[in-house]
Amino acid sequence: MLDLTFWMPVMAGGLVAGGSSGLLSVYIVGMRIPFLGVCVAHAALAGAVFGSLAGLTGPALLGAALVAAMIASLALGLADPQRLNADTNALMGLLFSATMGLAFIGMGLFPMLGRSDNDVRSLLWGSLNFCRWEDVGLMLAAFAALAAFVGLFGKEMRAIMFSRQDATAAGIHATFVWTGFLVLTAVVMAVNFQTVGGLMIYSLISNPALAAFQLVRGSGKALILASILGATSGLGGFLISAATDLPSGAVIVLLSSVLAVAAMAVGRLRRL
Amino acid sequence: MSEEIISISDLCVRAGRRKVLALQNLSIQRGEFVGILGPNGAGKSTLLKACLGLQRGVSGHISVFGHALADLGFRELALLRRRIGYIPQLLPGRMEMPLTVREVVAMGRTAHAGLLRSLTRQDHRLVDEWIERLGLSDLAGQTYGAISGGEQRRTLIARAMVQEPELLLLDEPTANLDLGGRERLVSIVEELYRQNSLTVLLVCHELEVLPACCGRLILLGDGQLTADGSPDQVLSERRVESLYGPSLTVLCRQGRYAIVPAVLSHA
Repeated sequence: MLDLTFWMPVMAGGLVAGGSSGLLSVYIVGMRIPFLGVCVAHAALAGAVFGSLAGLTGPALLGAALVAAMIASLALGLADPQRLNADTNALMGLLFSATMGLAFIGMGLFPMLGRSDNDVRSLLWGSLNFCRWEDVGLMLAAFAALAAFVGLFGKEMRAIMFSRQDATAAGIHATFVWTGFLVLTAVVMAVNFQTVGGLMIYSLISNPALAAFQLVRGSGKALILASILGATSGLGGFLISAATDLPSGAVIVLLSSVLAVAAMAVGRLRRL
Repeated sequence: MSEEIISISDLCVRAGRRKVLALQNLSIQRGEFVGILGPNGAGKSTLLKACLGLQRGVSGHISVFGHALADLGFRELALLRRRIGYIPQLLPGRMEMPLTVREVVAMGRTAHAGLLRSLTRQDHRLVDEWIERLGLSDLAGQTYGAISGGEQRRTLIARAMVQEPELLLLDEPTANLDLGGRERLVSIVEELYRQNSLTVLLVCHELEVLPACCGRLILLGDGQLTADGSPDQVLSERRVESLYGPSLTVLCRQGRYAIVPAVLSHA
């Protein structure tokens, strides 16, 4: 029997992290930039590593991760692929490798300085079971900010997703909106790291949209369904893990993958 | 008195060290239908992008609707672009996102509505009107990725037309279409021009794409202007031979042109 006082924030954390990641996934998969997840995750990790080395702990450490993720997102948003003659994914690859190198150099410094890197490792892997109401509040605020952004700039995001060059040619402030989206992505991912983990979040920003795109037509329906599927993975994965005593993170990832495969099968059957 | 819509002088576009387009003077008047013809790499698409302020490596003067592009800030440039309908050469690739045809057409009203504002009822009416005018009503709920190349082109034309543009830039609008699809699109473009008081710049490889209303032909070769005038003036036998080689001839019927092997012209 679950002790609800302890586990309620954990379940709420899984639900909110899944919902916000699912919403993000629509744009990330829609624009074919799944690499954005690992790119921002490693930038946040590098920020956390150097924050920890500087003596930061708790919320301040999360702040360092957030700042690093936002800097990486701003750099990506303002970089013009046409001017740099490089694909967006290639630019992400460059940023990913640089931030990963920085993070691992920083992690190498912990033993040299005789310090523990436990705080940083918990960010990398996440620990949903230790999610508290304060964390849920933060995740909910990030989710609300993302939902508000989608509500306010949804039509611009649709045009950018279709073609950034066409959107610019039609007089849409594509760089402004795109950079805003990337910064918000960094915020949502950074606040979800401590519960979902930098590695696990990758599946939650891909699978829900992959599933939703098989089942519905239109961006509005896709956004709602992806968010629901992400939340289902987050909460459902936790409940299955509690019932089976399996690691919650792994079960959440597997459940989101199973939902995506099932949706692909259903989508295929409907097309026959 | 006619109004100058585009004015270009001493334009030079470079890609690295390579000069891809050099134009001394070019002027497009309101209401003109201008065909821009030339082989691959002649600078046709670059010219359209330069007029939109999308092209990098540009020096010289380009003025659109009386505004020098180089003097415009990003807000003014965005406002100016709203008056221009642009149909790009390459269709966006396979779409992951299941955007419907209606959603794609509605994108043309996005900039007009402005940031933080939804499309109005009037915007939606306009979207519906152009969906109907371009024969897309039955496809409006379909996903853009699931329709044919010709239908995708018509969707992009509808997207450009809901902008209510004064200037329409078409970059090889019939590329990859079969003959029937090409002819349907030529008719649509001609109808749009005649009914909407547009100025049109149409880039193409083939003369057959030019509708009968095309009153001016610009020939680009190797990044230079090689001819500019009415189709009759520009399409001399000698020029066609120098462009495409011998044994070819120009056919003209009811204002439409085609370059065919000379043997066919006697048939």
